[in-house]
Amino acid sequence: MIQLRPIVFAIGVLLSALALLMAIPAVVDWLSGYGRDASTFAVCAGFTMFVGVSSVLATGGGDSEFDIRQSFLFAGLAWLAAAAFSALPLAFCNLRLSTADAFFEAMAGVTATAATVITGLDSAAPGILLWRALLQWFGGIGMIAMAIAVLPILQVGGMQLFRLEAAKAGRRALPRAAQILSGVALIYFVLTTVCATALWAAGMTGFEAVLHAMATVSTGGFSTSDQSIAHFRSAGVEIILIVFMILSSLPFLLYLQAMRGSPRRLFADGQVHWFIGIVAWAVAVMTYWLWRECGEPFITALRESAFNVVSVVTGTGFTTANYDSWGGAAVAGLLFLMVVGGCAGSASGGIKVFRFQVIYETANAQIKRLIQPSGLFVPQFNDRPIPDAVATAVMGFFFLFAVSFAMLALGLSLTGLDPLTSLSGAASALANVGPGLGRVIGPSGSFAQLPDTAKWFLSFGMLVGRLDLYTVLVLFLPAFWRG
Amino acid sequence: MIHFRPVFFVIGILLTTLAVVMILPALVDGAAGNPDWTVFAASAALSLFIGVSLIIGNWAPHFNMDVREAFLLTTLAWLVAAGAGALPMAFSGLHLSFTDAYFEAMAGITTTGSTVIVGLDAAPPGILLWRALLQLLGGAGFMVMAIAVLPFLRVGGMQLFRMESSDRSEKALPRVAEVASGITVIYLALVAIDATALWIAGMSGFEAVCHAMTTLATGGFSTTDQSIGHFHSAAIEGITTVFMLLGGMPFVLYLQAVQGKPRQFFRNSQIRGFLGLYAAAVGTLVLWQWLSGGESLAQALRDVSFSVASIMTTTGFTTVDYQTWGGFAVVTILFLTVVGACTGSTAGGIKIYRLEVLYSTAKAQFHRIVQPHGLFVPHYGGKPIPDQVASSVMGFFFLFALTFATLSLALGASGLDFLTSLSGVATAMANVGPGLGAIIGPSGNFAGLPDSAKWFLSLGMLLGRLELYGVFVLLWPEFWRG
Repeated sequence: MIQLRPIVFAIGVLLSALALLMAIPAVVDWLSGYGRDASTFAVCAGFTMFVGVSSVLATGGGDSEFDIRQSFLFAGLAWLAAAAFSALPLAFCNLRLSTADAFFEAMAGVTATAATVITGLDSAAPGILLWRALLQWFGGIGMIAMAIAVLPILQVGGMQLFRLEAAKAGRRALPRAAQILSGVALIYFVLTTVCATALWAAGMTGFEAVLHAMATVSTGGFSTSDQSIAHFRSAGVEIILIVFMILSSLPFLLYLQAMRGSPRRLFADGQVHWFIGIVAWAVAVMTYWLWRECGEPFITALRESAFNVVSVVTGTGFTTANYDSWGGAAVAGLLFLMVVGGCAGSASGGIKVFRFQVIYETANAQIKRLIQPSGLFVPQFNDRPIPDAVATAVMGFFFLFAVSFAMLALGLSLTGLDPLTSLSGAASALANVGPGLGRVIGPSGSFAQLPDTAKWFLSFGMLVGRLDLYTVLVLFLPAFWRG
Repeated sequence: MIHFRPVFFVIGILLTTLAVVMILPALVDGAAGNPDWTVFAASAALSLFIGVSLIIGNWAPHFNMDVREAFLLTTLAWLVAAGAGALPMAFSGLHLSFTDAYFEAMAGITTTGSTVIVGLDAAPPGILLWRALLQLLGGAGFMVMAIAVLPFLRVGGMQLFRMESSDRSEKALPRVAEVASGITVIYLALVAIDATALWIAGMSGFEAVCHAMTTLATGGFSTTDQSIGHFHSAAIEGITTVFMLLGGMPFVLYLQAVQGKPRQFFRNSQIRGFLGLYAAAVGTLVLWQWLSGGESLAQALRDVSFSVASIMTTTGFTTVDYQTWGGFAVVTILFLTVVGACTGSTAGGIKIYRLEVLYSTAKAQFHRIVQPHGLFVPHYGGKPIPDQVASSVMGFFFLFALTFATLSLALGASGLDFLTSLSGVATAMANVGPGLGAIIGPSGNFAGLPDSAKWFLSLGMLLGRLELYGVFVLLWPEFWRG
């Protein structure tokens, strides 16, 4: 049997923290004269705090070391509980979202997906806007912490490649991991501050700058306007966001190492090379396509392609153009870029670059082995041989991603959506990007018109994608609950 | 160094065979009084000339073929066969462009069944017969390749199908030859039975033979523009469904059944998986069709069971436009397109056995995640899957996805819309036939595509037929070195 006590305890702590967080938008709304929304936030905070503290009190004390099953269960439940309780203010505020809508929006927030069901953001109360940004920001740092400290130990989808050197040493690992995590959190905070300052200097209001910085560094992509970044019509803002979207998709651990005196590792890292390479290629090809085939002036083509391609690859989901109308090749290209994602160890979603590296190296070794059956070819990652278990896990991840994608797309089409909406919606949710393709959920559309069933499917997809598939799907294995 | 002599020698034999087969349509056209017979005769003479010169020019008493030459040979063989097959089409009364003729021949020899010809109903019998013959030969060639060549090349996990005795190379050849000829006989016998059944069900003799050939080859060329829908006959659809399914199952098992081990057939996990998936897909889609009120239950069952069999076995016959069934049906059919049928049959696609290996491996991984110290070995057909096989299957899956993405981008760049690009590549790589969308959908035709798109699709058909690795290996610099 799985001991539930420590899990409930940890979730109680999480909920109490969430309740404290809700106080911020409450204060902001109160100060700017939205009394009704302020009291909604306050009541939701009170309720969340009550549930959180009572779970802590009811299960407190004792040793709370997690074993593997408990870690899995906690990871799944933590995101689910966070989404459910953060949906409360969304459901009861002035926007009057339905349960499905509020949960969808909250899940999109904590998983740093930019899919939104709210129209009329420009006139929404500041508290709600701030709440959405806060969800993404904390969801993002939660993801980074998980990718650094938890997923490698759970050996999910090849993440064991990123085991901290000290992590194998049992109990002593904890202080070291905590130290690393606080360093990473500091860097995350600094990046956000710098981004916000830059955006403010480029002409945003202070409030917009802070919110967009939070949504950028977490690669979340919630905006304060229905037209996303297109609203600002400012090349300066777009350039700043491009830079910070890319910076936020690199492994945060490398920043920490760079700060501690080995900045070279940042540039020597294979994953970083591949990521920058993919982005550069995609932007170049897309610019050429827009310039030559769609007849846009070169500068406009470069600006639109750079911003939107970066936004899609990093899984942020900001938009400045309706890329739906860019033609067949662009639409297909963006669909594939969606699932690529950023680097492992960042807040970015998707399959992630290192998995493509591992698969490429393995496939390369395989083909060489076909040519010389008796030769010895060892695939390598960052100059170290890739263990067989990692290669298998990565390829298994890839297969599982394809299956989850197919199932989700089938489920969405069962609710009556057209093929393009189903396929791109599934890809976008699993990769935590945000906008899909097509008229309904494309960059100029909104998820609001989808049937409720589709919203639940997509919420599930976002959760599964965020937790690297295995972490959630393992809970559906009968063997998990046995013994 | 790669020795080209044995490669060219075998290509010569292939061309000579094709030349001999070309005489059949020449005779048929001659008998029907169609002037196309001269085209066939001339093409046959040209192929024969090149073939015989290659044989004579590269003759040697002793041939030794290693892995590289085998790889080179497989790719070249299909390229050359498509080229020779295109000759009569390019010069016939249909006046196809070179691109169109090559596309049509490649769709024939890879048993894909996508067509660029409009007006099949009025086409001379020689061309129709030639298209069916190309598929018949392509199907047989593919099965022989799957049995005799691919397992030795260890392509995409095919080593799992190495025959027990084949590790000792001396004895292997006679045994492989025996199995290959047994399978060919069964293949031809099934074609004959199918043709008879179709004839009894009301087709003309010529139509019956042509359709039987393309059914068992899971090719899907028809003698009319409306494919099987033309005949408006439930009996013909039923017969074709059965024989498409038969064409999608491993022929080695038929051989074993004939040799007195019929139980093997139902114990085979690939067949179970295939029939199970087929039943599940048919059940879901019938329910969907029926509940959405589009059709009566009987009509839905008839349309769905035929269309799903046609897509899953990668045949590509059509009776109705399944795109009118709504978004769910379209997405289902898009995914079923790439799934394909069993290894060891004439069907294409990723294939059931690979999906079973992937499923089994993924399951073992899940268990390992829950119990990191437990020992979980993935099994296939009651036997443990060697690590090598699992990783080549997964590598295949990845290459398939990567090729799929690249080719659909290329199609998009030649100006096609999203659904046409995606489904066109899927249908080409899985050797199915029709795609989705207004242009290449079940009621459409590939004639309207730009030339560049036709070349990309031809490449996709070849890649799919040679299980990707067969072609990709040639692109590695290491292949040509040392």
